[in-house]
Amino acid sequence: MNRSIFTNPYVLIAPAFLLAAFIILWPLFQIGEISLSNVNRFGQLKGFAGLENFAAVVSDPQFLAAGWRTVIWTVGIVAGTILVSIPVALILNEDFYGRGLARIIVMLPWAVSLTMTAIVWRWALSGESGMLNSALKGLGLIDQNIQWLAQAATAFPVQITIGILVSIPFTTTIFLGGLSSIPDDLYEAAKLEGASGWQIFFSITLPLLRPFINIAVVMNTISVFNSFPIIWATTQGGPANSTDILVTYLYKLGFSFGKLGEASALSLMMFALLLVFTIIYVRLAMRGERA
Amino acid sequence: MSLHWLKVAAAGSVAAIALASAAYAQTVRVTVAEYSSKTGAYFEKAAAEFEAANPGTDIQIEVVPWDVLQQKLTTDISGGANADLAIIGTRWLIDYVSQGIAAPLDGYITDEFKGRFIDTFLSPSVMDGKTYGLPIAASARAMYYNKDLFEKAGVGAPPANWDELKAAAEKIKALGGDVYGYGLQGKEIETDVYFYYAFWSQGGNLIDADGTSGLDSEAAYKAAEIYKDLIDSGLTEPGVTSLNREDVQNLFKQGRVGMMITAPFLSNQIKEEAPDLKYGVAAIPAGANGDRGTYGVTDSIIMFENSQNKDTAWKFLDFIFTTDKRAEFDANEGFLPVNAEEAKMPMFADNADLKEFAALLPDARFAPVIAGWEEIAAVTSNALQKIYLGEGEIKATLDAAAAEIDGIIAANK
Repeated sequence: MNRSIFTNPYVLIAPAFLLAAFIILWPLFQIGEISLSNVNRFGQLKGFAGLENFAAVVSDPQFLAAGWRTVIWTVGIVAGTILVSIPVALILNEDFYGRGLARIIVMLPWAVSLTMTAIVWRWALSGESGMLNSALKGLGLIDQNIQWLAQAATAFPVQITIGILVSIPFTTTIFLGGLSSIPDDLYEAAKLEGASGWQIFFSITLPLLRPFINIAVVMNTISVFNSFPIIWATTQGGPANSTDILVTYLYKLGFSFGKLGEASALSLMMFALLLVFTIIYVRLAMRGERA
Repeated sequence: MSLHWLKVAAAGSVAAIALASAAYAQTVRVTVAEYSSKTGAYFEKAAAEFEAANPGTDIQIEVVPWDVLQQKLTTDISGGANADLAIIGTRWLIDYVSQGIAAPLDGYITDEFKGRFIDTFLSPSVMDGKTYGLPIAASARAMYYNKDLFEKAGVGAPPANWDELKAAAEKIKALGGDVYGYGLQGKEIETDVYFYYAFWSQGGNLIDADGTSGLDSEAAYKAAEIYKDLIDSGLTEPGVTSLNREDVQNLFKQGRVGMMITAPFLSNQIKEEAPDLKYGVAAIPAGANGDRGTYGVTDSIIMFENSQNKDTAWKFLDFIFTTDKRAEFDANEGFLPVNAEEAKMPMFADNADLKEFAALLPDARFAPVIAGWEEIAAVTSNALQKIYLGEGEIKATLDAAAAEIDGIIAANK
C-alpha cells in the first residue's frame, strides 16, 4: 500500500519541530556567536575572541561559589518539594468532604506570579516590620527580631523554603494524576491480604508513582536551576554575593556589568549542564522502567 | 476582474505604505525612566502639548522602571530597535559615547540654550569637549533628622561631624523602644554611596591621582571604622545588610530613625505619606579637617546616533527644557532645579529643604567618569557588606576590593 506523503509521521511533526527549532536553536546560535566574540556592552560584535569569554567566566571565583550554591539550591528545593508533595497528593487523593476546596487552596499559589510571591515574602521577611517576625513573636518563639535577609546563613535556607512552597502546586498536580492512574483493585486486594498502610504505600503506591516522580524531578530541576525571581527579589544575591546562584550571577554579569560575551558563555555552560543532567537522569530512570 | 482587484489592492497598499512612512518620518520615540507614578503622565502631557504645537509630529513615550532601564536599553540597542531619545544614568554615558551610540548635541545647542542650565549639572554630560546629554534629573544628598526624636533625646542641633553624630545617636538610643539613632543603608543600589559620605569627609578620593582605587587609604579605613563602630554599638538599625535605601526611608517615615542621608525626594514622600512627621534637613557631617562630600547625581537624556528624526527630537528636547516644563517636572519628582531661571522660582527658592541641598552643591561629587563603574560600585558594596557583617577585617577587605577595582580599571583601559 502506498502511503500518502501527508500521513508520513515525519511530515506531520515537521511544522511543530520547525517551530520549536526556530524558537530554541536560533537564540542558541546567536548566543553561541556572541560567546565567541568580543562584544561591547550593547551587544555589538567586535571581532572573534576564541574561548576568552569562557576562560574569563571559569577563572572567576564567583562562578565556582555560585555554581556550588546552585547545586545546593536545586537539590534542596527538588528533594524538599517531592518529599512534601507526595503526602499532600495522597491526602488530596482521598475522598473527603471539601476536597475540591482543599485542592483549590493548594493549587491557588500557582496562579500568582513568582515575582509577586517573592516580593510578598520580602515584606514578610523584613526584620523590622515583617509578618514572620511578628508571628513568631506572637507565638512566643522569639523575643528579638530576626534579620532574616541580612546574612546568608538565614537568607539562603529561607529562600530554599520559599522555592519549595512555590513548587508544591505543580508537583502535587503531577502526583494526583499519577495516583488516579493506579487501579483501585490493587488496593482492595492488598487490604484483603491484610497489608498495613505503610506496606501498601511502599509496595504499591510508590513503585507505581515512580514514573511520575521522575517527571517531577526532571521538570522541577529544569525550572528551579534557572529560577531567578525568588533570590533576586529578596536579596539580589547579596549580601556580598553570598546568596548568588548561577542565574543571578549571570544577570549581574550581563545586565549590570555589561559583559555580554561572558554572560553568553556562562548561559551556554548552564544550558549544557542542564542538558547533560536531564539526559543522564532520564536514561537512568527509563532503564529502570524498561526492565 | 480579478486583475482589476489586484491592481486596486496593490495601489492601496502602496498608498498605505507611503502614508505610514510619511507619518513615520515625524515620529520620535522617547524612552523615559519611571521616577514616580507621575513621570509617565508628565511626559504624555508634554508629548501632547508638543504635538499640538507642531502638527505632523508624533511623540511616543515608553515608560520603563529604573531597575530594568539599563537592561531594556541594552537589548534595544543590540537589536537596533532603540528609541530616538532616552533617559540614562549619566554614569553610564561614557559607554554610550565610546561606542558611538550617543549623538553629540553641540550642533543644536545655542548659547541661549546653554545659558538655561546651572553649570554644575550640565558639566557631567560633557565628554571630550562635546555635550552628549542634557541633565533631565538632578539630585544631591543631605541629612534628614527627626526633630521630635532630637527634642526628646535632648539633642540641640543636627550633628556637624561624625563624633557629634555618634553622641546624638547614643542619646536617641537611650530613649528606648524601637528607635534607632542613625539609619545605615547596607543593601542594593547606593550601598557604596552611603559609605562615601563618611569616606569623603575623611578626605578620601574614589579614584586617586594615579588612576587607581582610593579604597586602600587611611580615609577609607577610618570611614569604615566609623560605620562599623556605629553598627557594633547598636546605634544603627539592626541587620543593616537587609535594608536598602527605601527600607531605611520607610523607617525614617515611621519616625523610628533619628538621622539618615538621602535625596530630596524623601521630602515629597514625607509630605504625602507622613505629613505629621517633624523633620529637618541638614548638611552631611564633616570630618576632622572640615572635609565634606555629598553625592551629586544627574540623569541625562541622550539622542541616539542612529535616530532618523534628529531635528524633531531636538525640538522636543528644546521644549521640555523650557523653564515651565522643567519646573513642573522637578516639582512632581522632588528633584533639584537644573535650570537657573527655574531655581529662582518661589516654589524652589523658598523651599527650606531644597535650600539645604543647594547649599551642599559646592561639595557635590559625581560618580567618576570611567568605564565599568557599575562593576566597581558592586565590588565596593560587597566589601562593605562583609565589613558590616563582621565577616572581614576592615583593612584587609578594603585592600582586596581596591586591588580588584584596579584590575577592572586596567581591563577597561
